[in-house]
Amino acid sequence: MCTHWLPLLAAALVLAGCRGADGPGAAAPPQPSRSRPGSDLVVATSARVGSVDPVRASTFGATQLLSALGDPLYRLGDDGSVQPALAADVPRVSSDGLTVTIPLRRDVLFHDGTRFDADAMVFSLERFLAIGTLSYLLDERIEAVRASGSHELELRLRRPTTVLPQLLSTINLTPVSPKAYRDHSDRALSDRFVGTGPYRLSFFSDQQQRLEPFERYWGERPRNAGIVLVSLGNSTALFGAMGSGEVDVLLSTGLHEDHQQALERRAEQGDLREGQGPALEIGYITLHTQQPPFRDPALRQALAHSLDRQLISERVSQGLRSPLRDLVPPAVSGTTRQIWPAYSPDTARKLFRQAGYCDGTVLELPLTFRSNIPSDRLMVLTWQAQLARDLGDCIVLQPNGMESTTVYRQLGEGAFAAVMLDWRGAVRDPEAYLFPLLSCSEAEGEHCLRGESALSGSFWTAPGLQEELLRSEALAGAERLALLQRIEERTAAAAPYLPLWLVTPRAWAQPGLATPRFDGNGRLLLQDLQRLP
Amino acid sequence: MSRRRALARYLAARLALVPVMLWLIASLVFLLLRVAPGDPVDAVLGTRAPEATRAALRSQLGLDQPLPQQYGQFLVDLLRGDLGESLNSQEPVGRIIGQSLPASMELGLTALLLAALLGLAVGFSGIARPEGKLDLSGRLYGIGTYALPPFWAAMVVQLIFAVWLGWLPVGGRFPPTLLPPQGSGFYLLDSLQSGLRSGQWQQLGGTIRHLLLPAGTLALLLSGIFTNALRLNLRRALGSDYVEAARSRGLGEARVVLRHALPNALLPVLTITGITVASLIGGALLIEVTYSWPGIAARLQEAIAQRDYPLVQGIVVVVAALVVLVTVVVDLLVALLDPRIRF
Repeated sequence: MCTHWLPLLAAALVLAGCRGADGPGAAAPPQPSRSRPGSDLVVATSARVGSVDPVRASTFGATQLLSALGDPLYRLGDDGSVQPALAADVPRVSSDGLTVTIPLRRDVLFHDGTRFDADAMVFSLERFLAIGTLSYLLDERIEAVRASGSHELELRLRRPTTVLPQLLSTINLTPVSPKAYRDHSDRALSDRFVGTGPYRLSFFSDQQQRLEPFERYWGERPRNAGIVLVSLGNSTALFGAMGSGEVDVLLSTGLHEDHQQALERRAEQGDLREGQGPALEIGYITLHTQQPPFRDPALRQALAHSLDRQLISERVSQGLRSPLRDLVPPAVSGTTRQIWPAYSPDTARKLFRQAGYCDGTVLELPLTFRSNIPSDRLMVLTWQAQLARDLGDCIVLQPNGMESTTVYRQLGEGAFAAVMLDWRGAVRDPEAYLFPLLSCSEAEGEHCLRGESALSGSFWTAPGLQEELLRSEALAGAERLALLQRIEERTAAAAPYLPLWLVTPRAWAQPGLATPRFDGNGRLLLQDLQRLP
Repeated sequence: MSRRRALARYLAARLALVPVMLWLIASLVFLLLRVAPGDPVDAVLGTRAPEATRAALRSQLGLDQPLPQQYGQFLVDLLRGDLGESLNSQEPVGRIIGQSLPASMELGLTALLLAALLGLAVGFSGIARPEGKLDLSGRLYGIGTYALPPFWAAMVVQLIFAVWLGWLPVGGRFPPTLLPPQGSGFYLLDSLQSGLRSGQWQQLGGTIRHLLLPAGTLALLLSGIFTNALRLNLRRALGSDYVEAARSRGLGEARVVLRHALPNALLPVLTITGITVASLIGGALLIEVTYSWPGIAARLQEAIAQRDYPLVQGIVVVVAALVVLVTVVVDLLVALLDPRIRF
């Protein structure tokens, strides 16, 4: 009789025998700390990395990886302050503001042992300008680069700009070894990376990357023995892997709100350690201002007053996404100004009435959302219910889900009366939030025909607005910030966009590890992760 | 005409159709991708790049050429065996497929083997007492597992065995703390080979542990097909004249079932196996997505989302070619094994 149980027993022994190679140690419900002392730390995200080449890296996963493998010229502190990294000092700007000289560090080696110098920086910048997918970020500002000394870089600008250090903190501009990339000066090298960062890449696949500390790194050495970045395809898998102890650190990107909430609760109970980065991503609604019904500014204002951000934030994200009434995130502007109208159903009703609605006439508003983004769907459904409760006799929301690729494609064609989107500035500066939404190169009155405003789907501009935006580029300091604030106030008054919420990057570590920290660009500092004694 | 010559003619006719089918599939994919909304330039540059940058990339990718010219170039490259480069990573499409396809095939073949063993065992178990409890359970099992929604089943299995019990990994194909074995891309074989060479078996253990949940789930979902197919065909075979004749000759029931009824009942199962293999070559998307399995289906889904034209086209053409090949091989096997088949 007992022979019937032999296969089962054998299977159990195989399972038991195999365990311990990489997995959790007990069959009991997940226990908080099962990290492997002395071994690499496993960091999980949902992001797959298609290419590790700085000229191709544009996704969150790729730039997160690059930030540990390479160094930018300047680094942003978590308060947004600019600190030299590969640059030896702050940039020197000529009197006409068009020539910038940057002294470079002399003690830096690439991972292949070759020396970093101005020629290597010129090679990398020119390569990025030639084949970089995001080269337009640099191309519209920088006319030419050259080595003015063995360790001195000279940039010739197209127009004066005050955000150059922030721009040069972009990790895509990290230098690569000219020797290693000799055969790839005009094409991407997707599965290898030879840079100057604290880690070198020892294994790469789109789902897993292994990082080993670079022994000859010029700066502070990593506080761990190495990092393994893994990508798990869905939120449940990520959450489960953290719970079972398969991963040491989990990033919030790609995690559903309820999973984030559960992790936050565990952190509050001391079962996990939670770190937060600067909130640089905004969620907002774009209104097409050149088509009925939103050609009428009063109606846009009515909609702005009807938005109960607090309720939506609570229902959609249980408060994880902070309500936002500015276009520029507080982490960027340094202050919470709240210049968009606050929630006021009475004011909204008054404005709807002025526009001819409410008394027997109901505005049917199609609101497009990206169907592949769960929080968008929840937001739209919540707002629909909130409007039905507060202003059901004035407005009815008609949700219209669409795959994000199609939304982006049709946005600039004016296909949507109202659409839910998000944005994260390329650099940590107000300009990076205002220019991409407001800049307009050709306009008729308040109708933007060509430019960023049209591409963003609002088609809104105002007399003199573009001139003010351009003037801000030539200013610096408080005067520039004051002008950008006035521009934001004009935008709030016209309400072509309705800011909704802020997305804060989070990371959770097992309790045996130090609390995760982020840099000023919202990326996890992998080199800071460490096991506690 | 002799049977052998007829078989050769049949095979030649089937093989001659292969290029035509592949051309049709490749053309359809080419056309559908161009008709679908979305632009690969957007996927690479984002929507905010200046028009000049967009135009330069469009020209570099050959997307500024008239559609017939793009189509002609696509066919010429295909005939040369050049599947092009991924728009996003600039890696050769052939290499990307070479990395993803073994993962899907390993998962699919393991699942198929487990499904066949499990399904056939369940299907066979009730044959002694038709309409008995065991037979009824087998029928319910067959219908139940076939009807399970794959995504839901995968999530539940993942939740129980990986998250709650912590017995097996949540996802991925290999333990992150180990280096994957080098070789054919079939980790089971590669890690077995490596283990035999070095005497270290962590890689094999890790591979098996990561394979168990996705393959087990897929096997569970597929096994019902085998159960039902065997049950029905075996019952039909047991009621046939040649089985009655065998019984009347005084042969034992076990011999009647195993030597006479079973081989005939397994012929339709072979066809079903062929169809299942063909569908699994393209990957089991929902299983791959749930278990973060880096297979060809997950890769295809990603490529479609990114409008990576060369990668989508390459994957579809290669998978279609394999499916056609498997179908031809299965047809041939059935023709060889079943003397009733005429060509």
